[in-house]
Amino acid sequence: MLWRKMIRDIWSNKGSYFACLVIVIIGLVAFTTFSIVTDNLSRAQETFYREQNFAHGFVELVSMPESNVQRLVQIEGIKDINGRIVKDVRVNAPDREESVYLELVSLDLSAPRVVNDARLLAGTELVPGNLEVWLDNEFFTVNGLELGDSLEIIAGGKIREINIAGVAMSPEFTYYLPSEADLFPKPEQYGIAFLPLADMALIFPELEGRVNQVVFTLEEDAQYEEVRDRLIPELEPYGLIRIYPRDDQLSHLMLTEEINGLKGVAQAFPFMFLSIAAVILYIMLKRLIEQQRGQIGILKALGYTNREIVLHYMSYPLTIGIIGGLLGGLAGIGAAVPMTTLLMWFFKVPEVPGAFPVYYLLLGLLLSVAIFLIAGYSGARLALGLNPAEAMRPPAPVLGKKFFLENWSFFNTLLTMQGKMAVRNISRNLGRSAFLFLGVMLSCALVTVTWSFHDMVDKLAFYQYEEVETYDARITLARPAASLPILREVAGHSQVRWAEPLAEIPVTLSNRWREEDIVIIGIPRGSKLYKVLDVEGREIPLPEEGIILSQRLADKLAVTPGATIELASPYLRGGEERVALDVYGIIPQYLGMNAYMEISALSRLLGHDELATAVMVNVEGEGAIGALRDDYRESDLVAGVDGREEQIRQAREMLESFGVAVYFYVLIGVIIAFAIIYSASFIVLSERSWELASMRVLGLTPQEVFSVITFEQWFLSFFAIPAGLPLGKAILHGLAAQLDTDMYSVPTTLTPDCLFMGVVITAFSIWVAQRFAYRKVKELSLVEVLKTRE
Amino acid sequence: MERPLIVAKNLQKRYQMGEVTVHALRGVDLTLHDGELVVVLGPSGSGKSTLLNIIGGMDKPSEGELYFDEISLHEADEKALTNYRRHQVGFIFQFYNLMPNLTAYENVNLAAEIAREPFNVDELLEQVGLGDRKEHFPSQLSGGEQQRVAIARALAKNPRMLLCDEPTGALDLATGIQILRVLRDFCDGFKKTVVIITHNAGIAQMTDRVITLRDGRIDQVQVNPHPVAPEKVVW
Repeated sequence: MLWRKMIRDIWSNKGSYFACLVIVIIGLVAFTTFSIVTDNLSRAQETFYREQNFAHGFVELVSMPESNVQRLVQIEGIKDINGRIVKDVRVNAPDREESVYLELVSLDLSAPRVVNDARLLAGTELVPGNLEVWLDNEFFTVNGLELGDSLEIIAGGKIREINIAGVAMSPEFTYYLPSEADLFPKPEQYGIAFLPLADMALIFPELEGRVNQVVFTLEEDAQYEEVRDRLIPELEPYGLIRIYPRDDQLSHLMLTEEINGLKGVAQAFPFMFLSIAAVILYIMLKRLIEQQRGQIGILKALGYTNREIVLHYMSYPLTIGIIGGLLGGLAGIGAAVPMTTLLMWFFKVPEVPGAFPVYYLLLGLLLSVAIFLIAGYSGARLALGLNPAEAMRPPAPVLGKKFFLENWSFFNTLLTMQGKMAVRNISRNLGRSAFLFLGVMLSCALVTVTWSFHDMVDKLAFYQYEEVETYDARITLARPAASLPILREVAGHSQVRWAEPLAEIPVTLSNRWREEDIVIIGIPRGSKLYKVLDVEGREIPLPEEGIILSQRLADKLAVTPGATIELASPYLRGGEERVALDVYGIIPQYLGMNAYMEISALSRLLGHDELATAVMVNVEGEGAIGALRDDYRESDLVAGVDGREEQIRQAREMLESFGVAVYFYVLIGVIIAFAIIYSASFIVLSERSWELASMRVLGLTPQEVFSVITFEQWFLSFFAIPAGLPLGKAILHGLAAQLDTDMYSVPTTLTPDCLFMGVVITAFSIWVAQRFAYRKVKELSLVEVLKTRE
Repeated sequence: MERPLIVAKNLQKRYQMGEVTVHALRGVDLTLHDGELVVVLGPSGSGKSTLLNIIGGMDKPSEGELYFDEISLHEADEKALTNYRRHQVGFIFQFYNLMPNLTAYENVNLAAEIAREPFNVDELLEQVGLGDRKEHFPSQLSGGEQQRVAIARALAKNPRMLLCDEPTGALDLATGIQILRVLRDFCDGFKKTVVIITHNAGIAQMTDRVITLRDGRIDQVQVNPHPVAPEKVVW
């Protein structure tokens, strides 16, 4: 019988329970979806890594004889080791606006267990000697290529034809970024081609019998650091450039970070939503019990035990918890499939079929039921204290009290009677006022933060291309070279208005035991094409000597301006292993993690004269970039010509897909604000229906009556919304700390625009929720309400 | 008596209570005049509250016609009814229906704020003998005091008509008589119509007319040519 009562009670207040349910479902959808996706992704990662024998360590060197590589397998801790050649080449595509590059990666077909083996998805096995390649899936698809097609590449100043024998994927390139300054993969422009080691020698005759990279896997109990220390002396004679563990490998880093990010979301999200839903439910239940004092008294008089009554009231949260848990869990499982597919598209990992995740369904259900039962029990406990006779009597009248601000006469004169009722209601139920306050504050913070993602992503990408790197195009050199002759040549080009050299030198910077492998960017003093800007966006003049670090790099090295650090580099000449240099300044950098020096100072430091790795140019005239590309197409010294406009366009395209996600999060903020205001209005309506009806009888219009409730909400919101802004700022700082990687730093400034949007969107959600609640005031039946004396 | 203030013709009211239809009013014809103090008597369930709610614009008749000062109320929409309650009618309930978080003064002012020609709130509270308790909240006032605040609130709008639903029902005799005195004074002093519904026949002695309802119909109407002073009323 009591079940029936419960169902009818819920039905008669379906609006609020529905709001509650929606929040539960959102929370659980987030929980199940993100948990399952995390699971899928990490399982796929694990399987893929294992099956393709993904390396634990990576070595880049100038070159070493291939025959020496297998000897290294005897080093303690190394399981499999392979030498390979990795070379970037340009694709000869005269009809394309932008340069197209391929990273050629050799596969040792003779080795029994190839480290970083590519997995063939379609096509045939590679036959050495035919210049056959497997292309990475994405490049192949995006560029509309077919098996059997051939591509022309420019290698060593010669055009070569390679044939597409297959399509493959590799654990090394699950997320392929052409360089550390790129945020997103550009599969139409950058691809991977796997080919037999023997064929590499055909393309690069100078590398016959030699390799320029070594990759290895570790024995089960081996430590990377120990193996590295054993390897270094063996490799040093061959011009060791860099040795790094899997954890520093770009694709692995991105994939692992994504998995960790998803894990974080899977934990934080549902907790937040379920807490909000639990508080709403607690308040509703408390209200219900106050309202049903009489009924509780009757039940007790009939002989129902306290246990039975509490159980009865617990059945409300239980029902909501079960419905919410099931719907949320199932919807989450449903959403996990497309979401996994989307991520698998982003990260090139073969999908692993998963079983129906009953586990997460049950866990979600358990989570939601548990939280609700706690909230429910806290609410239902109130029914226990009543004895039957007392329960059937109406509760003691509410004590009227003045609001503390009313002692201030100026404030007092501002208020109408409805206003006075409203502000006094705030202190009448402090707990609920606090909940409303926190809820509005939270949704304002959420909306602001998510809206700021717009700015953030914008800043991440466009700051770099519009404020810092302001050249029209860059001509990347195939290898570092003396800058003067090249500069003279480029500056002499008819369509180049201005040219400056640029040096990008890989170095290891260290401050005692802290060490970072980064790229130093050398720029001429007073550069017009590459700006070094401080936090305020002011240009910092480059010092005659000394280095400028990005904020994140300075943090990682734990240095401040004035400190002395050491630099090591494969380009360092003069017999010394390390040189000391002073930190001159620290600047923000959102994309990548670099250090900056004046180009001559950098060259001097390394013991070269005027070294350059690229030339930045400003051009004039139509099609200038295309002309430059054509003119230097076959130059041995030029690796490629890239237009900045093209880079910005691509970034913009990529960011558009992120825009959708931002709106989704904003919507969640809106739903929270809506649900809180809506249910709060409902509770107030049921609690004060008698008061409100009395006012209606007095002749106040529904608007005037409702203004008591809205005034209270706006009054609280007036303080809660601004309070949400610093909270948003704090959340953003937290997020930035979480999201910051060597790849990019998240800017933590909230622009006036997004503060404004945060305020407007929150206020709008409150307003909409009030419109819904207002209908209830209009429907208030005066006769019915006044018949019962509360 | 002068021109009619309220004219009701064949008022009927049916409620749907689950599967049963309840006839609360089965055809009531009634005329009320300006400046008249009328009591509606009847046992519970006789339809007196329903009649009062309909006359007061809180409810609509299922059938029949109702005019206030020759304006039809049975066809009025919600907005017009709100307006009618706002300016023409004052209500007094058995349980006072004060706003618990407004002081006595503020409760009265709540009504005064929305009226076109309100009475002075301070004077009203003096008149009902609460001049020194203005700043008290309802929870700090006795039942009689609360009812006097409710009367002051009903009067504050300067309505044409005062409708009282068991105004003394929750009060002891002495306090009840005080309340009746205030109602009588208002009626005589401002020439306003006062309708009291009650099942307390004693009150009938002080009124100008006694209407008895039974089973949703008017059973009898008695004119009382010599109403006694409220202080003489006994029950």
